[in-house]
Amino acid sequence: MMDVAELEMKQYLVRLRVGLTRMSLTEREEIVQEITAHIRECAEIPGAEIAVILARLGSAEELAAQYRDGLLLSRASRSISPLLLLRGLWSFAQRGLLGVVAFTVALFGYSIGTGLTLTAILKPFLPARVGLWVGSGPFIAGFSAPPLEGGRELLGWWYIPTALATASVILWLTTWATRRFLSVVREWWRTKLAQSMEPAFTAGR
Amino acid sequence: MYMANKRAEPTTMEISIRWEAQLRKGALEMAILAALWRDRLYGLEIIRFLESSSQLILAEGTIYPILSRLKTEGLLTSEWVEAEAGHPRKYYSLTKSGQVRVRQMAEVWIDFSRGLERLIAPVLQKGGTK
Repeated sequence: MMDVAELEMKQYLVRLRVGLTRMSLTEREEIVQEITAHIRECAEIPGAEIAVILARLGSAEELAAQYRDGLLLSRASRSISPLLLLRGLWSFAQRGLLGVVAFTVALFGYSIGTGLTLTAILKPFLPARVGLWVGSGPFIAGFSAPPLEGGRELLGWWYIPTALATASVILWLTTWATRRFLSVVREWWRTKLAQSMEPAFTAGR
Repeated sequence: MYMANKRAEPTTMEISIRWEAQLRKGALEMAILAALWRDRLYGLEIIRFLESSSQLILAEGTIYPILSRLKTEGLLTSEWVEAEAGHPRKYYSLTKSGQVRVRQMAEVWIDFSRGLERLIAPVLQKGGTK
């Protein structure tokens, strides 16, 4: 039969594993293996109690969050992959309004950039339906089905390079702003992590 | 009449704690990388080494995510070694870029602290007054 200490440890590791589900299986198992080795080694010290060892590690959920956020922010702030950047922002969005706003702005930027690129690709196939029109109402850029009633198309085939150039600028600006934002978040996260340290540099401890 | 609706100003103690956190933030990565300068170490050894050689006491749950991130950033490499105790240990070593980074950090730190030491020496002089 499993003793109480062993059960406590197993439960802690299960919670840790659950907290790391968004990471790859290899990364997750390596982390769990390392924490298991740490607990077992600490438990070998005479008089050591599993409950105390686990308390010193912090809650399994908090430990998992530190791994997850640290790796994600570190990778995302140096990446140009929209998917990774949006994942980084999403993890921050779950913590407050500023993150939600940043995620929404980035999603909007990527959607507009991708949309414009798609219309540039579609223009040769649907020349009458893709373009930049002005009419009696507001102007329309992109795809219109059916074509805008009474509208006048402005760019013709120039729509393709114009849309591609505009999309590139929007995508570049969105990526640049997102990476800058995530770098700031990463610094904030590191400060938060440093605050979780025990008082340090106190001579004579 | 004085209305106490203004946002409370941080106390001297709070300011001090925030400043110390900023200071630790700057030192934490350098301390971990420096601990690995001479030899490869595993997590618990790094914690003990920092405690014994610099009085830098880390919460145990803090160090592992940092080691993982430093490895992702290419500053550390790791390998599992079967220990005599019966369970494997994950040893960390500095990579070439980790060695370069910690050396740069150490040089900046020394220059910075020497300058500050000169600046604050009069403040700490015994019996000295402004």
